[in-house]
Amino acid sequence: MMAQQENGRRSSEDTMSVMTLGSQFDEESSFGSDSEINGFTSSRQTDKYGFIGGTQQYSTQSAQEVPLEVLRHREVKWLDMLNHWDRWISKRFKKVRLRCQKGIPPSLRGRAWLYLSGGKVKREQNSGKFKELDSMDGDPKWVDVIERDLHRQFPFHEMFVSRGGHGQQDLFRVLKAYTLYRPDEGYCQAQAPIAAVLLMHMPAEDAFWGLVQICEKYLPGYYSAGLEAIQLDGEILNALLKRVSPPAYRHLEKHKIEPILYMTEWFMCAFSRTLPWSSVLRVWDMFLCDGVKIIFRVGLVLLKSMLGSREKLKAGLGQYETMEILRALEPQYLQEGFLIHQVLELPISSRDVEREHRVQLRRWRKTHGELSYKAPPRMHGAHAIMSAEPHTRQDLRQKPTIIVQYPLPSDTKSEFARVKKRSTIRKAPNPKVEVTNPYAMPTDPKLASLNNQTQETASSNQSNHPPPSLQQSHLTTPENTPSSDPQPPQPSPNLSRTPPPPQPSPKPNPVHPTEIPPSSSPAVTVQPLALPKDSSNSNNSAHLTDPPPTTDSTPLPPDDTPVNGSSVADPRVPGLRNSSESVGSEDTYL
Amino acid sequence: MNMGTDLAYNFVFKVVLIGESGVGKSNLLSRFTKNEFNHDSRTTIGVEFSTRSIQVDSITIKAQIWDTAGLERYRAITSAYYRGAVGALLVYDITKHLTYENVERWLKELYDHADPHIVVMLVGNKSDLGNVRTVPTEEAKVFAEAKGLLFMETSALESTNVESAFLEVLTAIHKKVASKEVTRGSISAVTLGQTLGPSSEFKEERRSCCNSS
Repeated sequence: MMAQQENGRRSSEDTMSVMTLGSQFDEESSFGSDSEINGFTSSRQTDKYGFIGGTQQYSTQSAQEVPLEVLRHREVKWLDMLNHWDRWISKRFKKVRLRCQKGIPPSLRGRAWLYLSGGKVKREQNSGKFKELDSMDGDPKWVDVIERDLHRQFPFHEMFVSRGGHGQQDLFRVLKAYTLYRPDEGYCQAQAPIAAVLLMHMPAEDAFWGLVQICEKYLPGYYSAGLEAIQLDGEILNALLKRVSPPAYRHLEKHKIEPILYMTEWFMCAFSRTLPWSSVLRVWDMFLCDGVKIIFRVGLVLLKSMLGSREKLKAGLGQYETMEILRALEPQYLQEGFLIHQVLELPISSRDVEREHRVQLRRWRKTHGELSYKAPPRMHGAHAIMSAEPHTRQDLRQKPTIIVQYPLPSDTKSEFARVKKRSTIRKAPNPKVEVTNPYAMPTDPKLASLNNQTQETASSNQSNHPPPSLQQSHLTTPENTPSSDPQPPQPSPNLSRTPPPPQPSPKPNPVHPTEIPPSSSPAVTVQPLALPKDSSNSNNSAHLTDPPPTTDSTPLPPDDTPVNGSSVADPRVPGLRNSSESVGSEDTYL
Repeated sequence: MNMGTDLAYNFVFKVVLIGESGVGKSNLLSRFTKNEFNHDSRTTIGVEFSTRSIQVDSITIKAQIWDTAGLERYRAITSAYYRGAVGALLVYDITKHLTYENVERWLKELYDHADPHIVVMLVGNKSDLGNVRTVPTEEAKVFAEAKGLLFMETSALESTNVESAFLEVLTAIHKKVASKEVTRGSISAVTLGQTLGPSSEFKEERRSCCNSS
């Protein structure tokens, strides 16, 4: 008997020709630099998110480009929020939410996610815990399964393409640590993509705590034995669909297409395997802010888009064809612009989700009896998590580990910069003397005196807090640039992976503070950015324009943080401006 | 599958792939339906499926192959997955004895959820790794016979016996199923229950009566 041709595809029996995808990635040479694709020719490009050959569901239209000035503006705001996180969450959460909806600036996404999820607090309160778990051998049963999965997560992402490479190693560490942290839970395969997405943005320890929070606060029970929570959420999704799109609902009912047949991967992986990457990031920004209702909304938008109208539901569309439609989602519905807008418009609240949860739980009990695994109640986002977990300001304090110290003018021969190693490479720790400074300031006699002042206050400051990172101080400089100045072209946003070695050459600028005042807020407390008015509002959906800077960027006044001539000790730190490249850059781990 | 380009078919058979995580179910699926193999195919989460039409004795059969996560935990959500399946490929990895040992549990799972007449083939995959084999062919063959299962060893990587395995299962299903034309436009997978109904049997009896008189 002959196998028939199918769609022009040649089919043959027992052929030795093996068409393998991924085999060009050399398994052996996996210990090279992770930034290179071992054994890989230059024939396929890596996109800005790290995906080789284009991001999943690649489409040139799918990502929205945010103008650089807007990005910088947002970074300033986010840094301020992160520096006063508890107050922003408790008193101005609406604003936090709005900013998450617009998209977190890539350079701060990892950090923001850690804060939003409560992972930061968890990490600080459990110092040493991850290290302990990391050093233990895992239960062989789980280790075996995890190892089998390491090369199966985002295999076309440069971070995870190398077998035994750092990305896969970290993935192993995080997943293994979780099985030791929660031995009764063990490992569930859908946790791997979740952990992988986190690892693309933050180091292993942070990703671990992010995973903990997602598994326990946002999606409790999803990964537990019995998978009851995901089944229940499938029923909730179906019930909500009835309200959101009756035609889609009826069609799925008619063809007995149970939710579990289409929503499992969507929900368990928080859409990380379904959407184009830029949309994944936007969804996660909102998900970590507002909880599972975002996941429900995305699901509902997709169902409604694909099955919600007469035209879509052609006659003869059976069970199988419908499932195929839900698998081959049309790209136009998945793009940031469309999707995020629709998600924001959909009137499904956390309360709706909880209400339907109670209804479905009653039904479940009738048909299945009592739940075998009682998941804790879920937390609907950052605000709920923060309120529920006691924390101190110390827990929230940012602790940049790159500390750059400049020699005093009389001291140019001494060690130029002491740089502590940091596990993410988000900032160029060493200023390059030669780089054109796009934020060049007019020489100003006032500067020298201001810097002197800064120095004095810094040295008199007895605080033990580490100075804020390079990035913060640098970010302030745009504020002082008159908007009418023609700006030289911005440096390329691409970060080099490895920081350049410290340069011992003397700095051209006369004054270098040895320490930046630890109160990082003053650095951003100042005048709102004088952005050209027309620059910012072209991005995102029509509803999400950037409000004019003047009304918006007033950060909360610093309270307990040591006062040190705050507004003065500020932006005008000329020496730091030379390290200009890294700020606002796309983090290549994204 | 785009209906517009589909060739005419007489039957639709739903076949499920089951077995432990990592034995190669997804690659068997992609090899059979798309002639593709991927060393780094993604972990299956939820349900994957693909179709392919083949000819069996001048009958065109559209095989709907379903694939799902093998991890133990996922068995909680598989009842929807089994519904309407007329065939199953129970896959183990010849280099991992544990995956073979768990076959009994999978059989139980299968009979708990699927049609009792379902056609089952035991498939020992990764036969290209014969040098690190831990499950002897004979042993598995004997076991399969004892349990009334078809048996084959395959290599999705080298494409060995993949076609044969699926074809054998589909042919066996076809034998169990009486002729029943499925017109284009109404695609409902044939179930064994339907076709063993009294009406078709009755028709055949009548025919033979008339012929013999």
